[in-house]
Amino acid sequence: MMIGSQTEQSSNFKLLNKIKVPFKIFAKGDWATRLSFLIMGFGCFVRKQFIKGLLYFLAQVLFVFLCVFFISKYLPDLGTLGTVPIKRVWDEVEQVYINIQVDNSMLILLYSIVSIFIIFFFCVLYINSLKAAYNAQINSENGKKNNSFFDDIKSLLDDKFHTTLLTLPSIGVILFTILPLIFMILIAFTNYDSDHLPPAKLFDWVGLANFKELLWGSAQISSTFGRVLLWTMIWAFFATFTNYFAGMFLAIIINKKGIKFKAFWRTMFVMTIAVPQFVTLLTIRNVFANIGLINTWLQKLNIIDRAIPFFEKGWLARIMIIIINMWVGIPYTLLIVSGILMNIPQSLYESAKIDGASPFKMFVKITFPYVFFVTAPYLLTQFVGNINNFNVIYYLTAGGPKSLNYFFAGETDLLITWLYSLTSDKSNYKTASVIGIMVFLICSVFSLIAYNLTSSTKREEDYQA
Amino acid sequence: MKKLFTILLSLFFCCSLFVGCTPKDQKDVIQLKVWGSQDDQYMLGEMADSFKAAYPDKTYKITFGVVGEPDCYARLSEDPAAAADVFMFADDQIINMTNAGLLYEITRNVDNVKSANSAGSVTAATVDGKLYAYPCTADNTYFLYYNKNYVSDMQAQKMDDILAACQTAEKKFLMDLSNGWYNASFFLSAGCTIGIGENGKQVVDFNNEKGLKAAKAMEAVAQHSTFMTGDDTTIKTGLNSNTFGAVVSGSWNAEYFKEAWGDKMGVAKLPTITLDGQQVQLKSFGGTKLCGVNALTKYPADAMKLAEWLTNEQNQLKRFIDRGMGPSNINAANTDEVKSNPIISVISEQFKYAVPQNNVLGSFWTPAEAFGNALEQKDYGGKTLQQLLDEMVRQIMA
Repeated sequence: MMIGSQTEQSSNFKLLNKIKVPFKIFAKGDWATRLSFLIMGFGCFVRKQFIKGLLYFLAQVLFVFLCVFFISKYLPDLGTLGTVPIKRVWDEVEQVYINIQVDNSMLILLYSIVSIFIIFFFCVLYINSLKAAYNAQINSENGKKNNSFFDDIKSLLDDKFHTTLLTLPSIGVILFTILPLIFMILIAFTNYDSDHLPPAKLFDWVGLANFKELLWGSAQISSTFGRVLLWTMIWAFFATFTNYFAGMFLAIIINKKGIKFKAFWRTMFVMTIAVPQFVTLLTIRNVFANIGLINTWLQKLNIIDRAIPFFEKGWLARIMIIIINMWVGIPYTLLIVSGILMNIPQSLYESAKIDGASPFKMFVKITFPYVFFVTAPYLLTQFVGNINNFNVIYYLTAGGPKSLNYFFAGETDLLITWLYSLTSDKSNYKTASVIGIMVFLICSVFSLIAYNLTSSTKREEDYQA
Repeated sequence: MKKLFTILLSLFFCCSLFVGCTPKDQKDVIQLKVWGSQDDQYMLGEMADSFKAAYPDKTYKITFGVVGEPDCYARLSEDPAAAADVFMFADDQIINMTNAGLLYEITRNVDNVKSANSAGSVTAATVDGKLYAYPCTADNTYFLYYNKNYVSDMQAQKMDDILAACQTAEKKFLMDLSNGWYNASFFLSAGCTIGIGENGKQVVDFNNEKGLKAAKAMEAVAQHSTFMTGDDTTIKTGLNSNTFGAVVSGSWNAEYFKEAWGDKMGVAKLPTITLDGQQVQLKSFGGTKLCGVNALTKYPADAMKLAEWLTNEQNQLKRFIDRGMGPSNINAANTDEVKSNPIISVISEQFKYAVPQNNVLGSFWTPAEAFGNALEQKDYGGKTLQQLLDEMVRQIMA
């Protein structure tokens, strides 16, 4: 009986079987296999799979080593996140205090998560080693030859090639995405802020207090959250749809029969993509500044007395941002829609013309449905992207103008820029982390709803020509 | 083979953990990192070279990072273990820094440092009676620049005259009122106070009767037709297009004013303002730049040695010569060269009316900026001036 293949067959009971496996192996194993429970790889080693056995053994040694020198230092403190911050010892020779770091909540939290990952991987490895030992036992009982190390390597380049390929990306995803993500999410449940900054002070678990504070607990913070959220939604709506429709109309106009130099016009508009976005934004900000080009000329021409506060007055700044964003965003829609327009069968328009449809009717009945069908996912990603559109806001106004109606936020702050200023200016990581989770929830809700509503997903087969 | 894959994976994973932990001891090389502003980088490099020459018995490797004095606390608190060993910062951050335990207490040569520098700058570097940083400059305040073509020396003494003169000349008067550092001037002049309460939070009384008078005076300036607001970028652009009659700014912009106005550049202490019908001298925040040592540095003694070197008499004088910064070192400040400098002398004149900013906390700036912005935009959101003040004070003390 091959245990490996058995678990693969009954995938429904995979987890249950995985737990049962060690017991089964212990019941059916001989002395070498049973000894593998204590010394990993022993079974393999006895059955002449020397390198494999040795590697398992080394992994065990490494794990014990890690337990003693790494895991035991951090994981036991996960519950309290440390109790003693820094100890000072006087050094008479150098005339200084030597600071000795005892506990550091941030490191305890981070390394505890790492430790849990290590333990999890070791458990998987441990069970695999038992299986390997048992399989080797069965093979030698049946008189079959066991795979040599080189056979294993060969299979990694052949029938197990997918594992070889996926190893590196998986490690990358775990190290650089999943680990930090878990760390950040956990911070939302601590009081990590400017009053509890490690290493001098420690932070602690506070449960759901931060969520409560943000959503209804503190009048100031929760009203700011409400206002910022409202503006984020207004911004995302206008930023997405102004760009979308303006880009589409521009594309339709350029694509019309009778318009000369089509390639030239397209190039002209797409040129703005070639300039880095932040360069464009910073330039435009200077153009509209108090002492910028527009204000100076308007004053010289005696149209206005005082500079127009384009970015200093809340409502004006909001309108400006939406308009300037069109400059940055329209070319992308133009590019996409132009491609789609060229693919709409001309016969549709011709038959519509014969039926006497007006250009507007043709747009509503033919062009728009066609374009919308293809670009609905794009529209969705744009909307979610705009909720998190840090660049445009940060480079144009940096969230300002600051207002006393807000708690450490400005009138054009999106959730994401508010989060940024809370972390970088106020070291208020706990609230920022909660906001981050909220943004994630909002984005996923919108994505799921919109994605399920769009016809692209519902009638996938309809437009497959 | 799944097993082999898991072996490799876990080995790789475990090994990668150790890479970070291996100590890189390179035969007694002492590695120190220094943070300073972009404009100071070259000068700091020269100072580091002279430091290495002065202490040849040890091998130092000194590297530099660009972190300006105003951003020091924010960058430092992000990851103190990875931050610089020695850094320059403005003294308003010192309480936040000591609260967060980011600064090393200075224990070497304390008496020498204290006696060499001016009393005010030592106070700025002291928290709870302990020295936490080395004073580096004593010039961090603002005063009045005026163009003699449009504003006379006499007119530069009174805010009302300056505004009137600018109006006649069709020039602008610039003061960045949407910045707590500048707009606090009005409150401090009216006799309001800023301090730190027993719970360690900021305490201000800007919303009392005096504060309301100050706010009204500020409102009058902000609503004057020649008034203009803006940051350093605005000042630089405005100087190019000859926009200003007078500007409130500090020593760091002196070169730009000199370049634009030449002989016609005048400097004076801040003017008097009309407060409740009376002329009152406009006060300012007065600060020093400090040089601190990271509490987590591996080489505390060497880092202190370097910090002391960067702020000693010789190097404070170098700072003045290279960058025009006013020394806090008493001997350096008493040299003829420093004394005869017009910018430095106007700073010492303004320092008579300066309020130390070392007990201003980080929570002060954003609400003060929001208040200033409301005045500049004449947009009170339906609130009265008193209500705005109440809200500002509530947020600062929150």
